[in-house]
Amino acid sequence: MGHRANQWLYWVIIGGLCLPLLLGLLGVLLPSFGIDPALGSSQFSLVHWHELLNQPEFWSGLKLSVFTGLLATLLSYWFASSLVVCTYQTRWFQRLQSTITPILAIPHAAITIGALFVLSPSGWLVRMISPWLTQFDRPPNWLTVQDPEGITLIIALVIKETPYLVFAMAAALSQLQPNKTLLTTRLLGYDPITAWHFTLLPQLFKLVRLPVFMVLAFNLTVVDVATIIGPNTPSTLAVTLLRWFNDPSLSLRGQASAAAMILAFSVAVCIAIWLLSARCCGLLRKRLSLLGQRRSSLRWATLAGMLGALVILSLTILALFVLPLWAFTRRWRFPDNWPSSFTLDNVFRAGQNLIELSTQSFSLGFCCSIISLGLALVLLECERLRPKQKLAVIIVFSAILLPQITLLFGIQVGLLYLDWNGTWWSVLGLHTLYTLPYVYLTLKAPYLAFDQGYLEQANRLRTTPVRNFWQVKLALLKAPIGAALAIGFSVSMAQYLPTLIAGEGRINTLTTEAVARASSGNRKWVSVLALAQAILPLLCFYMATLLPRYWTLWRLTLKRALC
Amino acid sequence: MLTLQSVFIESPNGVLIDALSETVNQGECLVLMGPSGIGKSSLLGYVSGTLPKALTGRGEVWLQNSRIDHLSAEQRHLGLLQQSPLLFPHMTVEENLLFALDQKVAKTERRQIVKAKLNDIGLPGYGHRLPQELSGGQQARLALLRTLLSNPRALLLDEPFSKLDQTLRQEMRSLVDQCIKEANIPAILVTHDVDDANALGNRIIELKSDF
Repeated sequence: MGHRANQWLYWVIIGGLCLPLLLGLLGVLLPSFGIDPALGSSQFSLVHWHELLNQPEFWSGLKLSVFTGLLATLLSYWFASSLVVCTYQTRWFQRLQSTITPILAIPHAAITIGALFVLSPSGWLVRMISPWLTQFDRPPNWLTVQDPEGITLIIALVIKETPYLVFAMAAALSQLQPNKTLLTTRLLGYDPITAWHFTLLPQLFKLVRLPVFMVLAFNLTVVDVATIIGPNTPSTLAVTLLRWFNDPSLSLRGQASAAAMILAFSVAVCIAIWLLSARCCGLLRKRLSLLGQRRSSLRWATLAGMLGALVILSLTILALFVLPLWAFTRRWRFPDNWPSSFTLDNVFRAGQNLIELSTQSFSLGFCCSIISLGLALVLLECERLRPKQKLAVIIVFSAILLPQITLLFGIQVGLLYLDWNGTWWSVLGLHTLYTLPYVYLTLKAPYLAFDQGYLEQANRLRTTPVRNFWQVKLALLKAPIGAALAIGFSVSMAQYLPTLIAGEGRINTLTTEAVARASSGNRKWVSVLALAQAILPLLCFYMATLLPRYWTLWRLTLKRALC
Repeated sequence: MLTLQSVFIESPNGVLIDALSETVNQGECLVLMGPSGIGKSSLLGYVSGTLPKALTGRGEVWLQNSRIDHLSAEQRHLGLLQQSPLLFPHMTVEENLLFALDQKVAKTERRQIVKAKLNDIGLPGYGHRLPQELSGGQQARLALLRTLLSNPRALLLDEPFSKLDQTLRQEMRSLVDQCIKEANIPAILVTHDVDDANALGNRIIELKSDF
C-alpha cells in the first residue's frame, strides 16, 4: 500500500467516523432547542428543557441511572481488584484468566437473561432452597428482579463488568513489575495484601483509568440490560429515553433530545466524581502508607471484596448454566431443583425462526468484524508511520464513551432524511461504528510492537510489498488479528440499540429478539435465543484462539501428507 | 561497484557519520569498524533505505551506474544480514528460501534449486523444518543463503556473527567470504571484532567518534 494512498484512506476513515458522531450530537442538540426539521419547526426555544425539568419521571430516572451506574462501577472495581490481589501470585491467576476470557465474548444480554432466570422469585436460587428451607411450593411474591431500587440491575452489571476489569487489570499488570515490586515491599516487612495496597494498586488505578471510564459510561447508559432486569416504574434514564423517542405522538421528541444531552453530560460528571473520590482515597492511602504500618486494615476491604467477587463469579456460572437447562427443558416445575425431563423440542420448534435470526446475527457480525479489521489496519499503519497522530484514539474513545442512545437518535434523524432507515446496510454501518473501536484497541499494541525487521527483510528479498505485507506481517500477526476479529464479532452480536434504531424492526437479530422476549414468560424460547446468542461468539472466540496457534502446524501436516 | 559519496548521518545529539566517501568493487568487502553507537549500523540503514526515523541521512549512494538513495528499500535490491537471522517463524526452511528466490525462476525449478542450495550449505533434508527448530549456526547459514537467493546487487552485513560462538564464527566467515566472491558483488561489513575484519576485509576503515 502506498503511503500516500494510505494517508488518504486514513482521512476518509476518520471522516467517516466523525460524521456520524457529529450528526448524532447535532441530531439531539438542535431538537432539544426546538429546531427539528423532521417536525418542521425551526424556532429556537427552551420549552423542551422546561418540560423536561418539570417531569418527575426524568428526575427519578436520572437519580436511578447515576446511583446504579456509580455503584455498579465501584463494586466491579472493588471485586476485580480484590480478585487480582488475592490470586496474582498463585496458579489460580492463570486459571482465572482462562475462565473469564470466554465469558467476555458472551453478549451481555445473554448473561443478563441467565441472571434473570437465576435471581427471579421463581428462579433457580429460590428453587434450590425450596421447599426445604423456605416452605414455598409456589413462587413468592417478591420483587427480586426489576426491583425499584435497581439492586438486581446493579448485580447484573457487576456480573458483566467484573470479568472485563480483571482482564484489563491483568493486561495493565504486565506493564508493571509486580513480582519485583512485591518482593521489595515484602522484604521491607509488609504483608502481601498491604504491599499491594501501598505500591501496586495506586499504579494500577492509573493504568486502567480508561477501561473504568468505559465501564462507567456503559453502566450509566445501557438500555438492553436495564430493559431485561432493571426497574420499570420508573426505569433508568436511558430506558425512559428510548420510550420517549419511540412515542408515537412525536411530541416527546424534544424533551427526549434534551434528556439525551443530559445523559451524555452525566457521564462526564460521573467520571469527574470518580476521579475526585479516587483522588481523596489516594491521599488517604498515601497518609496511611507513610505511617509505616506493616499490616494495614485495608486488608479486610480486599478480603471482603474477594468474597463478593466469589459470589458474583458463582452467579455468573449459574447464569450461564441455567440457559442450556431451560433451552432443553420439557418440564421444570417450581420447587424442583432440576428439570424433570429434557427434550430437544424447544430448539426444533424454534427452527426456522432461530435459523433466520442466527443467520442475520452471524452475517452482520462476520461482515462487520472483517470491515472493522480492514479499517483498523489502515488506521494503525498510518499511526505506525506517524506515532504523534492521536486523532483516531480520540474518536474511538468518544464513540465508546458517548451514550449510544444519545448518538443513535441523532443519527436516526440523518438516516430518515436520507431514507436509509430500515436497511441492512445502515444496520451494518452502525454496527461497524461500534465494533471498529474495539477491534482497533485490541489490535493496536501488538500491531505497533511488531518487529518491522521481518517486513523490511522480506521487502529486500522480494519486490512485492503488498504480498509481503500479507504473507509476512499479517501472517505473523495472525494471533492478535484473530483475537480482534473475535472481539469484533462478539461486539456486533451484542448490539441491541443500533440494530433496533437503524433496522426499525425490519432487521431482527438474536439480540433484539431475546431482549424483546426476555420478560415474556416463555423461558424455553428465550433461553434458546440467549443460548444461540452465547454460542456463536464463543465458537468464534475458540476458532480465533485455536486457528492461529495451530495454523502453521496444520498447514505443514497437510503439506507433508500431500507431498 | 557500490559508491558512497559524502554521506552524512545525523542524530538529534550530533553528527554520526561525517562526509563518508568510499567505493567498493565487485567481489570486494569493505569493513567498517568502531565502537558501538558510532553510527555503523545507521550507515547500513541509510544505504539499504531503512534508516530509523529519529535519524536523518544525506549523501549519494550509487550502485553500478544508477543512484539508489532516493529509491524505496524494496527497489534497491540490496541484501542485509543482521545479528538476528529474522527467519520467518511461520514458514518452513524451504518456504523461507522459496520466499526469497527470484520470481523469474520457473516454478518447476524452484524447489530443486532450493534443495541443491540447502545441500551446499550443509543442511540437506532440513527443508520441511521450522527455522526455530534449528541451531543458531544453522539459522545464520540459512539467513545468508536466503539473502543470496534474492540475487542482491550488494551485500550489507551488520555484525552478522556476533551471536555465534568462536568455531561457528570461523565457519561463517569463510562461507560469507566464499559467497561474496562467487556472487561477485560488493559487500560492506560492519563489526567491532578485529578477527572478522581481518578475515573478510579487503579494506578496513576505522570510524572514530567526534564527540
